[in-house]
Order: sequence, then structure tokens, then C-alpha cells
Amino acid sequence: MMKETKNYPKANLQDYGYKDRTRVNKYFKRFSIGLSVVVVLMMYLSVVTIAFQSVNSSTDISSFEGFTLKWYFNMFSNRSLKNAIVNTITVSVIATLLATVLGTLVAVGINAIEKKKRQHIMILNNIPVLNADIVTGISLMLIFSMLLPLFPYLFGPATLILAHLFFTMPYVVLSVLPKLRETDKFLMDAALDLGIRPYRALYKVIVPAIKAGIFSGMLLAFTMSIDDFVISYYNTGNGFDNLSIWIYGSIGRRSLTPSVYAFSTMVTLFTVLSLIGYQYLKTRRVKNEKH
Amino acid sequence: MNNKAFRLLAKPYFVWLYVLALVPVFVMLFLSFVKSEGISFDEMTVSLESFLLIKERSTLVAFRNSLLFALSTTVISMVIGYFVAYRVFKSKFNNKFLVLTILILPMWSNLLLRTEALGNIMEYNNIYTDLLSKAGINAGISIRGTSLAVLIGLVFTYLPFMILPIYTALEKISVRLEEASLDLGLTEFQTFWKVTFPLSLKGLISGSIMVFLPTLSGFAIPQILGKGNIILIGNVIEESFKNMNYNFGSLLAVIILFFIIGALLIINKVDKDGETLL
Repeated sequence: MMKETKNYPKANLQDYGYKDRTRVNKYFKRFSIGLSVVVVLMMYLSVVTIAFQSVNSSTDISSFEGFTLKWYFNMFSNRSLKNAIVNTITVSVIATLLATVLGTLVAVGINAIEKKKRQHIMILNNIPVLNADIVTGISLMLIFSMLLPLFPYLFGPATLILAHLFFTMPYVVLSVLPKLRETDKFLMDAALDLGIRPYRALYKVIVPAIKAGIFSGMLLAFTMSIDDFVISYYNTGNGFDNLSIWIYGSIGRRSLTPSVYAFSTMVTLFTVLSLIGYQYLKTRRVKNEKH
Repeated sequence: MNNKAFRLLAKPYFVWLYVLALVPVFVMLFLSFVKSEGISFDEMTVSLESFLLIKERSTLVAFRNSLLFALSTTVISMVIGYFVAYRVFKSKFNNKFLVLTILILPMWSNLLLRTEALGNIMEYNNIYTDLLSKAGINAGISIRGTSLAVLIGLVFTYLPFMILPIYTALEKISVRLEEASLDLGLTEFQTFWKVTFPLSLKGLISGSIMVFLPTLSGFAIPQILGKGNIILIGNVIEESFKNMNYNFGSLLAVIILFFIIGALLIINKVDKDGETLL
């Protein structure tokens, strides 16, 4: 018996179906890292080109003459561009603030109604989020046009702000609702038992608990609002252009000034710096807490 | 929390959404079946003229182009997006804040300006070839105005909308599931195919819809990169509203709306709480 067992060949891992794939895996990993780098580079190619063109002293976009910062200093000397920038910021700030406050109140309301009605309103709430910009733009334009006999000069800042409010509010609702659901159900009851009126309790107890959701909703709303083109295109009037409409018009007329590249680069740099600053402050605070 | 006093807060929002999101759909449906000058009710007659315009060759070509571009953009960004999201998920570099920032940062520059900058690079003479030619290298290619240019522009504009939901879905998968699958004798590839991939499908579907819908209906990117050579359905809608033909434009918008309703139904089925949507 003993002898026979000794004659068995020694089994190795391959016999159990193990295949050595370390080399394949290595190549696969290299390939996917390469692809990721290429993708990120491609995504930044346009931003880098914008920055590059903003320091080009030639107005001809196809040739590089020399380094200059004059477009940064002349940014606001082009009046139509200045107006477009001012309009964009005004509309976005007003619409974002309104959307944040109203969206939060609406989310509190939605959270309080019964389940069936809530699902109903959430489907409606998703319409502006998922709808094609062009359909949303046209829809609002049709509704506003029907009001024209009553208010002949309606199209302009007012319609633009209303339109922006319409498509940004759902984002605030969507980011506040989950936070409301996470908060302690008895928080409100406790506040009421301690003798505070409901709306004051909302402000003193609930709002601090859902602060993060409100903030991220606000950020989303602002991002959507400031970059919007199609919806704004259909709902503005009286020469009230925002930056996107102004850029679209200039591209059509082939008269894009490098100042707009300078403005865009400045905004990007400002965003990067504030993000870095935020991260820095956050890590420092964490460190301080540890000590 | 469920204070009944707060229910009142949701009521105006119901009215707001009904008036601004639902009523226009009926207005557009109504406009599709009549012939009018703009939206004035004075000389309105019932007419099916818009439906005849749909059968015209130019409209059909625009529809075919839109569907082809939307489908190919979605498929390409699905493949590339999954690779990138999976790589980031697997790397030790798991700072979600940083990943989000890197992906979202380009989106904070104006979309049209980015597209125009990309379009400029696609010209034969551009700022980079100019620099290269000063160094004695001639390397110009001209693809602006072709479908390839539009496709590249669409893919790299909407790719973040594909990567983010996939990454969010992947991040929610517990490491223990993969460890269990490996312990039970599946190879790494089988683990991916049978455990990780099915669990990330939700993100892939959300991402696909978020890429498919805007590419189907957009008109600015094809206009800028295609130099007007490539007509998509968005361009036809824009054109007909510009020419005060609200009837035909409305009909096309209603057709787009059907695609969106389809997407809403799919989203409702795979992702009820909308976790991967934001």
C-alpha cells in the first residue's frame, strides 16, 4: 500500500484549474491606467487650450505670437461681454438663493405628506431633471408666451430667473430629502414638547440637522444655473444675454474675443484655489482635533 | 418631523410643477395638430401639416443622425467610462472628493466655450500646430466639420456623467462580497463578471440615460463642431422655432418627450431612490 501512494505524481495548482494570470492582469492594469490618463487629459484639453489662448497676444486663434496678460486687464472693456457676465452672475445668484430656500421648504413639506402623494410629487419633480433642455426651454417659453397679452414686456430678466428657478429647485429637493429622512424622527417632537412653535422649530432644529444637504443642493443648483444655455436661450428677451447666449452668438459671428477666454481661465483658477484652500483647512482641522 | 402643519409647504410646489411641467405638454400636443402663426390664436386652423413634414427626407435624416450619434456616444462612453471608474475604484487613490473634483472641474468652464476651444484644435491651423511649425514640425489634421469631430466632442463632454454614477455604484459594493467570492474559488475575472458587474449595473444604466438623453436632443455641440454639416433633431427643432413654425417644432419636441418618458420608466424601475442619479 505505502509503495503505491508514493507512485502518485505530485499534484500542482494547475491541476486544480488554477491558471497563472498575473502577467495578463499586469498588462490589463497598465492598459486601463493608460486609458484613464488619456481620458482625463482629453477632458482637460479644452480647458488647457482656453488658458493657452487667454495669454496669446494675437487675436488670431490659430497662431501664437507671444505671452501677454492684456486680455485679463481688458476683460471688462468689451461692454457686451461685461453685461453678459453681470447678467449671468445676477440671474444665477438670485435663482440659486430662491431655489435653496424654497426647495428646502418644499422638501420639508414633501417629507410630511403621505407616501402615495409623495411618490406622485417625486415623479413630477424628476421631470425637469431628466427632461431634455430643449423641451424644458420650449415648454416654459410657451407658458410665458401665453402670458404675453397680459404682460407685453415679460421676456427678459424675470422670465430668465423664473426659468432657472424651475430647473434648479428639483436638485435642491433631491439633495435635501434624503437628509430629512436620516434625521431623528423625534427631534421635532422633542422641540415641540419643549414649547417651541413648529416653524421656529423648523428653523432652529431641523435646518441645522440637514445643513449638508441644503449646501450640496445649493452648489448643484448654482452649477446648473451658471452653465445653462438652451433653457436660457428660449426664455430671455430684450437683449438680456447671459454668458452662454453671448458666446453662442459670438461663435456664430466668428467674433469671439480672447477676453472671454481670460474670464473663463480666471474662474477655473479661482475654483481650483478655493478647493485647495478648503481641503487644506479641513485637513488642518482634523489634525488639530487629534492633538 | 411629520408635522401636519408642514404639509401646506408642498402644495404650491404641486401647482408650480403642474403649470410649468405638465400643462406645456398639452399645449405642445395641441399645437402639433393645428396650423398657427407662432402661438397666436387668431388665425388658427386644424391641420396635419406638421405630420407631413415629419415624413420629409431631411427630418428623417436628422432623426437617424440623432439616434446614431446618441447610441454610439452612449456605447463608447459606457466602455471607456467603465474602465476609468473601475480603475479609480480599484486604485489605492480612494479619495472620493478628489475624484469628483477632477471629473467635475472642467464642467465649470462654459460648455460652449470648451466646445469652441476643442473645435479650434480640430482645425488644420491651430495654436498647437503653429507652435510645432515654429519648431519645424508640420503636424496638422483637420477634422472639424466631420462626424468624427462631433462624436469626439460629445463623448468627452458627457463622459463624466457616465463615470460618476458607475463609480458611485461600485463604491457601494462591500469588499467582503469580493473576498467571499475569491475564497469560494472563483477566479478574479469570474468574480468581476458574476459579483461586481451585476451590482454596478444600476450605475451603468443611470449613466447611460444621462448620456443618451442630452446627446439625443442637444444642438449646440453638433452645430459648433459639425460646422452645420451635421443636422441633428435638436437643430431641426431650433430652426423651426426660429422660423416661427411652432407647430412642427412642438411635434418634434413631443416625440423627444416620448424617449424621455421611456427613460423615466427605466430609472424608476432600476433605481427607485435615485441614489446614483446625483
